Amino acid sequence: MRYILRRLRRLCIVMFAVTLLTFLLVNVLPGDIAYDIAGQDASEEDVQAIREDLGLNRPVLVRYISWLSGVFVGDWGASFRTGEPVLEAITSRFPVSLELMLFAQLLALLLAVPLGVVSAYRAGSRLDRGIAAAGFAAVSMPAFMVAILLILLFSMYLSVLPATGYEPISEGLWANLRGMILPALSIALAEWTILMRTLRAEMIGVLQEDYIALARAKGMADWHILVVHALRPSSFTLITLMGLQVGNLIGGSIIIESIFGIPGVGRLLINAIYARDFIVIQGCVTFIAIAYVLANFLVDMAYALLDPRIRVSAQHG
Amino acid sequence: MAMPLLQVIDQRTYFETGRGLLRAVDGVDFELHQGRTLGVVGESGCGKTVLARSIMGLLPSNTRVGEGSRIIFDGRDLGALDEKSLRALRGSEIAMIFQDPMTSLNPVLTVGKQIGETLIRHHGLSRHAARGRAVELLRDVGIPQPEVRVDQYPHQLSGGMRQRVAIAIALSCQPRLLIADEPTTALDVTVQADILDLLRRQQIERDMSMILITHDMGVVAGRSDEVAVMYAGRIVEWAETPELFRNTRMPYTAALLNSIPRVDDPPHRRIDAIAGRPPDLIHPPKGCLFAPRCGHVEQRCRRHSPPLQLASDGTHAQACWFPQSVGTTP
Repeated sequence: MRYILRRLRRLCIVMFAVTLLTFLLVNVLPGDIAYDIAGQDASEEDVQAIREDLGLNRPVLVRYISWLSGVFVGDWGASFRTGEPVLEAITSRFPVSLELMLFAQLLALLLAVPLGVVSAYRAGSRLDRGIAAAGFAAVSMPAFMVAILLILLFSMYLSVLPATGYEPISEGLWANLRGMILPALSIALAEWTILMRTLRAEMIGVLQEDYIALARAKGMADWHILVVHALRPSSFTLITLMGLQVGNLIGGSIIIESIFGIPGVGRLLINAIYARDFIVIQGCVTFIAIAYVLANFLVDMAYALLDPRIRVSAQHG
Repeated sequence: MAMPLLQVIDQRTYFETGRGLLRAVDGVDFELHQGRTLGVVGESGCGKTVLARSIMGLLPSNTRVGEGSRIIFDGRDLGALDEKSLRALRGSEIAMIFQDPMTSLNPVLTVGKQIGETLIRHHGLSRHAARGRAVELLRDVGIPQPEVRVDQYPHQLSGGMRQRVAIAIALSCQPRLLIADEPTTALDVTVQADILDLLRRQQIERDMSMILITHDMGVVAGRSDEVAVMYAGRIVEWAETPELFRNTRMPYTAALLNSIPRVDDPPHRRIDAIAGRPPDLIHPPKGCLFAPRCGHVEQRCRRHSPPLQLASDGTHAQACWFPQSVGTTP
């Protein structure tokens, strides 16, 4: 319990720092939404009126504090352009982004875990070196390039998967997933190598442990030893890394959502940045920061599931 | 006499290293009959553990086993068996206990699972039946409240308890040969005797054969039927246990015995540690490998390596050109 309180306090500090920083940064961005809203033929007075209307003429800190006090009561402001409430805009798009990120992480794990285990088991072999080479090739290509290559291959040449377009889950699970495969794969291909190499390194260490020798002395089959005895103790760093990679995942999905035309939080953010829609940018960044900290919190909880030693000491403490 | 349960014939286990071939076990021969305990004694690095792992067939990939080396268990040449048949043998007919129970149990699996999986694997028990059997085994090895302990994780048990769990794992499938590799070295002195007595009791009850590996002459005294003393990858002395203690012949064995502090020693007596260090096993010197550290060394020792010679009555063998005659004082 104390642990959770400590985490919450940390969350607050992080949130304060992140929101203040984005507020200041967005403020120094060149460009002014008031001109956009007013249109080309507007007079300087009209623009000034719009500024006043939106509260843009007040000092930065005053605006920040008024925004922050709104956030606590669930009022994240409304888009300067469309008038759509920011919180609603984010929560309606978030499930799409979440699906993309979870799907991407799942694909990354589906690649990383089996290949990492095989690499550790056959460390130094040709297979191990081959997997490593493929992994480094994948990780050295940026996600947007992978995305374009995937579109070329699967949409243009093979014509099996759509290049753009998002179908909501109400149109059927397969229709929904079909549109998600290429975007998720683009992100996963950039992520899996690090997970795979981490698992491999840790598992090589675990396979030297006495308890693995004992499992062999018990006559257990190799696959049983790898999956039942070695995988869980080898996964601790992997889990930490997955928490840290949430940042990459979010960054990746922002770009990928734009490429594939997926209506998620990332695209909302990108469009808001182009339009200098400060309040939306602010809302998205705040939301992403909360999501990041929460994801890492969940990762810490996952340790307890994997490692009984942590579980028990938590009960006592 | 009946056929021995285990025959080790000219076992040579070498490791390829960056510096050259390391001769960890270099020509070991012995036999072990059903229901008997062989104590294997020697200092660190003398090849005891490698010998044990050679019998189990658990050797790293850089191992080279000698051409004439044979390990025959119950009439089967283990070197000729495929990996699958070896796996079926391990844990069911030959079981092993490791030195450090802090590291030899899997930290993320419950005690019951670790005992039960052997039974599921070799005897085809259901999960439920295996758990029940695990509780019985925990009771057999003297763990209180076995119904509670069976669902606990290793870190919730003390070192002595963990070694009892390791013994329960080893006994689970009623093995015919139990190899205990320094089973008490990592434990508190107060627990050591309990564990050793438990092993001896179980060995007699189940009519198992046992190889008890230790660096401590005190461990094998009274708890083994015969003792093989190893030095630098070879057996340098072998005898029935009482005979060995009564009539130590090899200066190395005598030195090992003398290095044990005794209760009736005067206070502050310096322990007679064996001077020098074990030889380089990659480039072993000529002659007897113990010669540089031996108090009785003669010219011949430095030139020619002594073979392990069985005395005429067949109860005592030593690899020494100048065996000491009687008593433990060299």
